[in-house]
Amino acid sequence: MESVIAGKGIKRGFPVAGGGTFWALKGLGLEIMRGQLAILKGRSGSGKTTLMNILSALDYPTEGEVFFQGKNIAQMGEKERGRLRRVQMGFVFQSVALVPMMTAYENVEFALRLAGYRGNRRERVEECLKMVGLGSRLHHLPQELSGGEQQRVAIARAIAHRPEILFADEPTAELDTNTGLQVVKIFKDLAAMEGVTIIMTTHDTGLMEIGDVVYQLEDGEFVA
Amino acid sequence: MLSFVFRKIESRKWMVLSLLVGNLLMIAIAAASPMYSRAVLQRTLTRSLSDYYAERNSYPGLIVVRSSHTAGKREEAEKTVRAAQMLEEMRDRLDVPALYMVTQYFKGNVKAVHEVKVEGWKNELALRIACFSDQTDHIKIINGEMYSGKLDGDIFDVIVNERTFVEQNLMLGEVLELPDLKGASSYRIRIAGIFENSRQQDVYWVAAPTAWHDVCLMDEGLFRELFVQTEDRGFSAEWYVMLDYLGMRGDEAERYLSVLDEYFAEYDEMGYKSHTANFRSALEAFVLQAQKLNTTIVILQTPIFVLLAVFIFMVSRQLLEMEQNEIAVYKSRGADKKQIVLVYLLESVLIAALSLAGGMPLGLVMCRLLGASNSFLEFVERAALPVESGVKPWIFAGAAAVFGICAMVLPVIRYAGVNIVAHKRGKNRKAKRPWWQRLFLDVTALGISLYGLYQYNSQRAYLAQKVLDGASLDPLLYFCSSLFMVGAGLVVLRFFPLLVRIIFELGKRWWPTSLYASFLRILRTKSNQGFLMVFLILTLSMGIFNAQAARTINANAEERIRYAAGADLVLQEVWQDNSAMLGEPGGGIDAAPGGSPGREQELVYEEPDFGKYQMLDGIESVTKVLVDKKVSVSVKGGKISNALLIGIHTKEFGETAWFKESLLRVHWYEYLNAISQNSRAILVSSNFRNLYDYNVGDILTYTNGDGDSMRGIIYGFVDYWPSYAPVTKVKGSDGLYEEKDNFLIVAHLSQLQSSWGVSPYQVWIRTEDSSEFIYDYARETGTVYAVFEDAAAELIDLKNDPIFQGTNGILTIGFICVLLLCITGFLIYWILSIQSRTLQFGIFRAMGMSMGEILAMLINEQLFITGVSIAAGIAVGILASRLYIPLIQIAYTSADQMIPLEIVSVNGDYIRLFAVVGLAILICMLILGFLISKIKISQALKLGED
Repeated sequence: MESVIAGKGIKRGFPVAGGGTFWALKGLGLEIMRGQLAILKGRSGSGKTTLMNILSALDYPTEGEVFFQGKNIAQMGEKERGRLRRVQMGFVFQSVALVPMMTAYENVEFALRLAGYRGNRRERVEECLKMVGLGSRLHHLPQELSGGEQQRVAIARAIAHRPEILFADEPTAELDTNTGLQVVKIFKDLAAMEGVTIIMTTHDTGLMEIGDVVYQLEDGEFVA
Repeated sequence: MLSFVFRKIESRKWMVLSLLVGNLLMIAIAAASPMYSRAVLQRTLTRSLSDYYAERNSYPGLIVVRSSHTAGKREEAEKTVRAAQMLEEMRDRLDVPALYMVTQYFKGNVKAVHEVKVEGWKNELALRIACFSDQTDHIKIINGEMYSGKLDGDIFDVIVNERTFVEQNLMLGEVLELPDLKGASSYRIRIAGIFENSRQQDVYWVAAPTAWHDVCLMDEGLFRELFVQTEDRGFSAEWYVMLDYLGMRGDEAERYLSVLDEYFAEYDEMGYKSHTANFRSALEAFVLQAQKLNTTIVILQTPIFVLLAVFIFMVSRQLLEMEQNEIAVYKSRGADKKQIVLVYLLESVLIAALSLAGGMPLGLVMCRLLGASNSFLEFVERAALPVESGVKPWIFAGAAAVFGICAMVLPVIRYAGVNIVAHKRGKNRKAKRPWWQRLFLDVTALGISLYGLYQYNSQRAYLAQKVLDGASLDPLLYFCSSLFMVGAGLVVLRFFPLLVRIIFELGKRWWPTSLYASFLRILRTKSNQGFLMVFLILTLSMGIFNAQAARTINANAEERIRYAAGADLVLQEVWQDNSAMLGEPGGGIDAAPGGSPGREQELVYEEPDFGKYQMLDGIESVTKVLVDKKVSVSVKGGKISNALLIGIHTKEFGETAWFKESLLRVHWYEYLNAISQNSRAILVSSNFRNLYDYNVGDILTYTNGDGDSMRGIIYGFVDYWPSYAPVTKVKGSDGLYEEKDNFLIVAHLSQLQSSWGVSPYQVWIRTEDSSEFIYDYARETGTVYAVFEDAAAELIDLKNDPIFQGTNGILTIGFICVLLLCITGFLIYWILSIQSRTLQFGIFRAMGMSMGEILAMLINEQLFITGVSIAAGIAVGILASRLYIPLIQIAYTSADQMIPLEIVSVNGDYIRLFAVVGLAILICMLILGFLISKIKISQALKLGED
């Protein structure tokens, strides 16, 4: 199996008022293979979102290396990282982060535009929205959709441009258990259908068994 | 509770600050207008009364009542007591400090006979025996002694002034018999002394004693004893009240008039029909002017108030919308509706109190600025206005503060009833079209304003006449122009989404991602940006409209004065001539027979030295101009009398006279050049062509007042010429103004002088700078002018006119307010729009959008929202100016309007306006850039959903 993303000795420190450094990540190493659904688990404050931001090129590690398809993204410039995020990565956020004045269709299409998607955009958008079960609600604005539906649009948007890897930061945090389960099931199906690698953080223990790999974080360190 | 309010304010400090700015300006302007009108009117009143004093050398403030009888009845005597009481009452009611109150008793036409007869002198005299209350304080004895005040047998003392003494051939100590005053006992008078007024200038004397030639003053007590308290001896009385005109208050003028009317009517009833108040006509004129000024101020200020109200309303609403969520949360947590309203009430009262504290002094400053305004956006040092605050400004300011509170609190009452569930539900509802669009309010407003324009345009002549008759401009007219701007702005807003949609759809496939996003945003979010756009359009259009209105009013008034004068200075000395030796039949030097009487009898003038003017410092150029208004012309089928003949030296005239080039189709120098080729060439007014079919090359014969004729070849027709009025408005017997054509002939002065001889001409001067030097010259040399026109002095008078000053001041302050609001409104909108979108930018960034793309997106939004608003604002402003300023200008017309009105715009104003708007955009972009660069993507993503 091919490694999609790998980290070595990732440390992330934040300066603390009054001097000194708070180490949110204390030297982590991990490797995730293509098509895997990896779960980062931990209580809030354990550092899972920090790790996620570093893996997804939103943040830089203070020390250590992150390899994405063999390239060290910790050394890349903003511009290159932006392109990377746009084309090869997809994001689903904790808070439902759709653009409020765009319809479901437009939200998904927007990601395609950003990624410079070269195929037939309309087909792809409709395909993705059908995939998340929203084929009939293409032209609704986010505020006209329920929380679960909004998150599904976000997922469709995140995968539309066929990213290598999909990052999902607590995608179920604001959903009830059932809806949350549905959403995670969609992730699972996607990983199988589209061959996308997925990294997802959660603190919901009920979702553990769905993951192919589970990393548990406590105070910036993995625990077995 | 209070600390809660403070925390709330702190969390929204920028919004609260801009709300404060709006309230502050509103209160300041509201307070400034009554302060200004009161101060400037006070100055006007004092000045017009002072002018009266200077012109007639008679102290304004005098009320005179005369008794109309000399009968010596008991009841008549009692009436005089009542009359005197009434005068005192009137004085108290007027409540103006009185300098003096004088009662004069007299017996006129008293026959007096010299006891010692002198040969050749008139023996019988007609004297007036009088006494004034407190007269001894105002006279001094220069010869002889003071009267004793006691009856010495049948003799009482009197004193006389020098003129009476001399003219009546009196002698000191002489006793005269008063044969007609016999009755019970007869009296004699002794000339005890000669007096004069103790001070040279003494307002006590209504008529200076030096002018008397038959008055004998006696003791007041004795006069009463002898004549007032005695039944059968008649006397007359006059009462004077001398009010201190400096103590008269402009805002009381109407009351003064009504008090005067009331008492004068009562005097009439008593039969005392002779009474005057010499300041009455000045007061009446003042009351008219005050009404005109007040209307003008209201008219000019209303749009500013509307704009400020819109601004306050906009910011309050924005603030509320931001806090709506919180209100809903409080509500759900069990907060009482009353408590929520109370919190907002406290906050708004706090803001209002702060604004009031700052707004009153600011109003005072504005008031000073108004008084110092000289032209649009131009101030001069001028004697400071007597500004007082008084009650009215506080009432106005208070009303403005209450408005601010209401704008903030009233909507809360609605919001306070909504809990979080309803709030969320409401938020999910699709945005409807704004209410004004659904009601077609924009189209209606535009329609009404255009209908008004049409109506007023068709009654222009009538409007002008009303203004000439002293009325002020119809406020509705000004309202129409504001309505037009509002309507047009809203119509633009109605079609704005369509425009964006078209552009968006046209290039949908090619728009870069950032533009795609910004177009969608512009199209989908309506209410906020709509408000900003209307606001920007209104601000810019009103700014332009105000600027152009002020410029036009000023320029046209100034040009009117300059054109009517012809040159900076127009002078004509008093010419000496031989008229004294002519004209008397049978006399004079030409009586000798055999001579040629026609030649000899001619009026010969002695020409004053012209060269001295060329030597004066401060003159740029000077020329002789013959102006003859009594020329007659025989034309095809009739005769024109009273045509205006102007005799000129072409080159000097061109250099000296003031003329606006745009008045004639080609430069006026071309006309001067044309006639300079031929000494007999003339220019005539166009009405010769239009009414009498004259053409270029025709010969015109014209005759001066002495019957001498000249022939000239017409070289050109002119519509206008320096100092020439093509038509004059004459008030007919029916009270309507009619237009009368005036005819003009411009000929060579040298030609006229060689045929007709030298007659008095005017000296036209173009000054280098000020016209001061000519006054110095006239004073030093004692030159007397028959014609003296100083355009510069008239311009200064114009600028001191309260209506002009107020107009300029208000338009200037309005413009400055508009600029301030423009910046504030703009900043608020964009800062809010960025702050509320932090999350979105975070998402965009996370999805791989670069900073540059986000900026491009914002710039595109700016381009459409701000750019379109600015373009529309300018277009609407210019359109409104073209349509409505000609009508507004009517309010400032005068009967001697000679040249056509022209809308004036000064590029500097546009530059100022654009500089400020540009600065606002720049500041905005900087703040935006700063805010965006501060956004950390990872943090932005964690913000809650709001």
